Amino acid sequence: MSTPMMAAREALGELPNPLGLQGVEFIEYATSRPQALGQALERMGFQPVARHRSREVLLYRQGDMNIIVNAHQDTERTGLHAPPTLTETPVLAAIAFRVGNAAAAYRRVLELGAWAVHTEVEVMELNIPAIHGVGTSRIYFVDRWKEFSIYDVDFVPIPTVNPRPPALQGLHLFGVVQYIGLGRGADWIHFYSELFGFAELAPDQSFGVLTHGRILASPCGTLHWQLIEPLVDALDADPEELLQRVAFGTPDVLATVNALRARGVEFVESPTGVHTGTRGALTRADAGSPSFELVLDAR
Amino acid sequence: MRRTAMQRNVADFGMDTISLAGPLEAKLAAVKEAGFGQIMLAARDIVGHPEGIEAAVHAVRSSGLRVTGFQVLRDFEGLSGHLHSYKVDIAKQMILMARDLGAPVLLACSSTSSHATADADAIARDLRKLALLALPHGIRVAFEGLSWGRHINEVHQAWAAVEQADCPNLGLAIDSYHQFATSTPLSALEDVDPEKIYLVQLSDFMWQETRTVQERIDTARHFRVFPGEGVHSQALAELVRTLDGMGYQGDYSFEVFNDDYQQLPLPYVAQRAWNSALWLAEGVLQRAVPLPGHPRIKTLA
Repeated sequence: MSTPMMAAREALGELPNPLGLQGVEFIEYATSRPQALGQALERMGFQPVARHRSREVLLYRQGDMNIIVNAHQDTERTGLHAPPTLTETPVLAAIAFRVGNAAAAYRRVLELGAWAVHTEVEVMELNIPAIHGVGTSRIYFVDRWKEFSIYDVDFVPIPTVNPRPPALQGLHLFGVVQYIGLGRGADWIHFYSELFGFAELAPDQSFGVLTHGRILASPCGTLHWQLIEPLVDALDADPEELLQRVAFGTPDVLATVNALRARGVEFVESPTGVHTGTRGALTRADAGSPSFELVLDAR
Repeated sequence: MRRTAMQRNVADFGMDTISLAGPLEAKLAAVKEAGFGQIMLAARDIVGHPEGIEAAVHAVRSSGLRVTGFQVLRDFEGLSGHLHSYKVDIAKQMILMARDLGAPVLLACSSTSSHATADADAIARDLRKLALLALPHGIRVAFEGLSWGRHINEVHQAWAAVEQADCPNLGLAIDSYHQFATSTPLSALEDVDPEKIYLVQLSDFMWQETRTVQERIDTARHFRVFPGEGVHSQALAELVRTLDGMGYQGDYSFEVFNDDYQQLPLPYVAQRAWNSALWLAEGVLQRAVPLPGHPRIKTLA
């Protein structure tokens, strides 16, 4: 018996893990319509558990996944370090890696050629080191995830809700899908391997129902990063590079799809293209909500 | 889709703003008017624009010309401590300008500084860092050995550094001037992967040799001429044919620093450059035409 996850681990063996990477602490979306995104997240099984002390930012959680919905428009910073203008369609704005030592990780990646994000924190708030990722996205480094959490400092719990809602159908973070420009595969593979120790999986390894592209695995083995170039017949389309979507792992895709449908989630069901199967599924995006991918993964 | 060598035409050749006097808009117009489809830009053109960088970027993007590349980052590799940090800041600014201009390539030339180390590992590490800085912005770094470079002054040395650094967006820039100035034989290109040549800069000059480093610098900065106008036409033709034979399919830019051209009407200088492009495209790579400066019955322009 084997699962995609086990296959990935066995093919990878022990990878060097220069930052002591241990998965993802949080994923951040930016949107000017936080309620629409919040409702979509709740349909996916997330619960709002805490509110930022000073900004319009909410923390959603299920199992060990944290999603931050950021509707705070920072107008003070301009130029390179200005955060992008909020849009109605949510943007996958940041991913926070759990690392052994955030300061050391930050110093190491800057030494290798990463671009620092100059964050400005309010009084008594945590300064979480970050670098620029693809497009307007950022990558944070968090090392306080064992004894106490970063949310204890910057967030206020929402009263009467369970701060640790269990995961629906064993949902957990499986990976991230990044759109890249034509011929940019080698560049981005170099980026993630040089800075974080990711390694490309063999071309015959694929997960879910969207198997196009190249897949990297994190050195901790818990995160997959899929790089997707434009289709050849779509070369004239917008060449923008960005983080496109998040993929959740589940031990039983069909049962999870049924459970999510009952909660009002709609899935892409194309007779000739992407449709729900035992390997995976894709939720339908709308103006206020991005699409999420489901991937068969026992974990 | 890439063209085959036989289909190569004059579109692969471009001018460089450093050959021309005047404001950016006038340079762009003269280059386009002469028949070129691409231009190599210098940071000076952009930051020196009287209406600011955004106006310069707008002028370039609305010119109808493709940007060959952006120059030049100097003295990046081999420095340490605060000198290195300073150069990282400079490099980031150059990368951001290149990105705004839609320049696919940033030209970086080898260090001339007496503070730069000869340590090959340190040089490779710095080039790797430079390439990674450029990577998220979709910019490739073309590393060139200046003929008066402190430790890297010939093309095979620059290639060795690029190979050691081993990054998908780090490659080589070849400048005919530097190759001729150091009398580097064509065999120095034998080991070079043509896919990793990101830019070829062509120019000629009027004398046979540059004996001293100072003579190399002076000639390079003031007395270059367009390909076919100097005394190295044969060698230049051989270089272009060699690169073509290796499978190089990228751009050729005319890197011609010339004090006379800097004080002549732009259309005149651009026309001389265009004659060189025709000579290279039709004569050197395909069929015989007269050398630039010699009468042509009819031009394609």
